[in-house]
Amino acid sequence: MKFWWASLGVGLLALVIQGALATVLPPPWCPDLGLLLVLCLGLRWRGLALGLALAFVLGFSADLLSGSLLGQHALLRLVAFASAFVAGRQLNLRGGIPLVAFVSTVTFVYGIAVALLSAFFLDTGWPPASKWFDALIHSVVNGLVAPWVLAGVNRLSVWAGDEDGAVRSLPIEPHRRAL
Amino acid sequence: MPGFLNRLAAPLVFLALVLLATVTMVLDRGSSRQSIDRELPWWQGLLLEIAVPIQSVVSAPFDVVREGWQSYVDLIDVQEENGELRGRIAALEEENLQFREALVASDHLERIAAMRDDFETPMLPSEVVGLDVSPWFRSVLVDRGYQHGVLSGHPVVNEQGVVGLITRTSANAAKTMLLLDRQSTIDAVVQRSRARGILRGVGSDVLEFEFVVRESDVAVGDLVMTSGLGGIYPKGLRLGQIVELEEPGGSLVQIARVQPAVDFGRLEQVFVMLRRGPTLDLLYGPNLPEVSAEPDVLPGSPPKVSPPVDSAKPDPQDGPIETAATGAGSKATLAERVAAAPPSPADRTWFQ
Repeated sequence: MKFWWASLGVGLLALVIQGALATVLPPPWCPDLGLLLVLCLGLRWRGLALGLALAFVLGFSADLLSGSLLGQHALLRLVAFASAFVAGRQLNLRGGIPLVAFVSTVTFVYGIAVALLSAFFLDTGWPPASKWFDALIHSVVNGLVAPWVLAGVNRLSVWAGDEDGAVRSLPIEPHRRAL
Repeated sequence: MPGFLNRLAAPLVFLALVLLATVTMVLDRGSSRQSIDRELPWWQGLLLEIAVPIQSVVSAPFDVVREGWQSYVDLIDVQEENGELRGRIAALEEENLQFREALVASDHLERIAAMRDDFETPMLPSEVVGLDVSPWFRSVLVDRGYQHGVLSGHPVVNEQGVVGLITRTSANAAKTMLLLDRQSTIDAVVQRSRARGILRGVGSDVLEFEFVVRESDVAVGDLVMTSGLGGIYPKGLRLGQIVELEEPGGSLVQIARVQPAVDFGRLEQVFVMLRRGPTLDLLYGPNLPEVSAEPDVLPGSPPKVSPPVDSAKPDPQDGPIETAATGAGSKATLAERVAAAPPSPADRTWFQ
């Protein structure tokens, strides 16, 4: 439970810092620290129910600091966490490149989902092509930052006394073949 | 049985949270349609309250570096720029003189003076402390909230023009949706030709101005101003300049790209206009909030917002209601309320 609270604290701090960082880095070049943290936690988390609750709270906090509808990021981060949780057990994401590819892909899909929800609830229409180009850049930036965030999550886990999880950060069951 | 329940726990939690998030979104959308007062409850506002001081501290070193660099860059060209500016001042003084003469001659000076009085809305200086945490939305966090009289629906401007609209507030912080956000829609007018249209944010650094091709005279370089007809923003505030025109083809509606007047990349200090437009007022309640004793409010001294230069009569057709994150109410409700409650004299300029 200590890890849960520590992750929540770090997640909230990451959101606040990201808001300040965005004043210096333009939107596509500023990594989405909140989303990255949720994904990296999903990759190494063990108890799914508590992890989902954490992702929901972090997503809802992002909604409060963003121009989105309340619940929009909460819903999507919940799904992102679940996808990372499953992917961490089904795919071999130990290497840097697979992790970068995974996070970049999820970030881009996350953007599509944001656009779909906004179009549905807010009637904003589909974003222009330039926005998708920005989304592509943002996905790559997020992917490149992911290994550092994952390393940070591992350190946090060790600090919080979850050493077993840190050592076995991406458990792959022996009877399953890694893809 | 317990083992079965344990296996179901995670899927049940997932479904419950998905449901909760969906219901929250629907309620939030509903509240934006039904009520403009979107002051956050204390447990939601807490995060904003915490964010403001932390973001101020975190962004301070970045601001120092940025300001230092900008000062250095500015110094390099200062002499050349001084020469250019002197020339421009002379030209503008001459132009100003001609305008004054023309206004006096056409008996509009009195009207302009009355409009100026109406424009003297209390302005609250605020600092931008953070940007949106999601690249998909364009909003900023400012360090003034409902304790300072800031309410959702208040326009936000700076010396360059319109910045956006307050969408949510806590005690000491407020979220401002920028013009650039895809939810932002403003009834606008081209200053030169009086062509009316809708200015939309598209999520990028340019805006889109949609206007009807027929009889509209719009050219690259034209200034776009608020028309005041949407009932949210006052009339005559600078929005941007047209930089590109799309070919209309066979369509009746043409789109122009507009460079915002405000440099959103360097947004630091803004002014919150402590009043809501009459549309929001009629729909949702009294115009002026209970403003606490606020020493840094600037009554009657607005920043250098572009002057209310509009003098042509507005199009008699009803313009589309400006929308924002606040959304617009149903037309029936608006019509009923407008019929029931005549606008106060203080709202004159907003309906010009």
